[in-house]
Amino acid sequence: MIFIAIVLGCIVGALIGVNMPMISYTYSGYLAIAIIAALDSVFGGIASTLKKNFDLKIFVSGFFGNAILSILLTYLGQKLNVDIYLAAIVVFVGRMFNNLAIIRRYYIDKWTEKRQKSKKVEVKETTKK
Amino acid sequence: MKKLKFRADITTVTVVVFIVCIVLVSVMLMQFRTVEQTDITEIETMRESELRALLSDWKTRYEDVAKQLEDTNKRIEEYNKTIEDNEAAADLIDDELTESNILVGKTDVYGEGVEVTLSDGDYSDVNASHLIDLVNELRYAGAEAISINGIRILAMTDIVEMDSYILISLQRVQGPYVVKAIGDKDYMSTILQLKGSGFVDITSDINVSLAIKNRVEIPKYNGELEIEYMQEVVSE
Repeated sequence: MIFIAIVLGCIVGALIGVNMPMISYTYSGYLAIAIIAALDSVFGGIASTLKKNFDLKIFVSGFFGNAILSILLTYLGQKLNVDIYLAAIVVFVGRMFNNLAIIRRYYIDKWTEKRQKSKKVEVKETTKK
Repeated sequence: MKKLKFRADITTVTVVVFIVCIVLVSVMLMQFRTVEQTDITEIETMRESELRALLSDWKTRYEDVAKQLEDTNKRIEEYNKTIEDNEAAADLIDDELTESNILVGKTDVYGEGVEVTLSDGDYSDVNASHLIDLVNELRYAGAEAISINGIRILAMTDIVEMDSYILISLQRVQGPYVVKAIGDKDYMSTILQLKGSGFVDITSDINVSLAIKNRVEIPKYNGELEIEYMQEVVSE
């Protein structure tokens, strides 16, 4: 069910994205930060799902809130002549790596467990014989 | 009850994930397109401040090029000036050469002047000393060019009499002798007609007629002017 939603959402999003008008090059910087923030939220959501402490409210508020906040901060940074978006990128990408590491470890653990189980089964079968 | 709540949760999650996917993917694609097409439509999608920065950049470059152009133009001007100078020098030399040729007698010349015709008198013939005196007097009166019977009289021209023939530059001439001179016609005629000293006045043994003319033509010297012995003294 969720996978179907993801695939459908991606397709519809792609269609909308292709047909959307071009945005100014200046604003593309803000959009890039927003995308990074959103991606961070998505990986965070996946990681929390695997940890079994996924909260929809946190996910949604993080997804939109971080994006908007990062845009606002970037705007403020431009007004102050400070590259705040660099800090945002560092934080978001750092968190993304963290979350990716959690996801990776989870699946590696799962995989090794599986192998050990099958090995045990094999050992049991051989001892039976 | 618990299971039902879970199901409702799952649909909400599904819907939220659906919306999130749409937003994320569409925004990402927008961004990709923008970044990809920025190179082509860079100026169109730029904002004022960026355009201003670009403008100032181009302005600087323009100024550099303008400066270079100015330098090049200046150099071209200098070259032209040099060429002009050379041309001017050439013109000057040309003028000088023409003047020298005229003065020396290598060219046909014309101008206002007088024409004196000498012919044999009843009792005596025209002799070389008459011609020499006349030429001398014309020169004194400021004649710039003189010819006798079409022979140009130069600085080196000799007028001699041999066996009652008059030779000018070793060419035999016969009367009547037409002496043409270019110069101030009034002054020359006055000098020639001076009472007691003018050639026309004091010469009575032969027939002399004086004509004042507005246009006298004198041909160039026919022979060759060769320098055999003399050399220029170069003073340093």
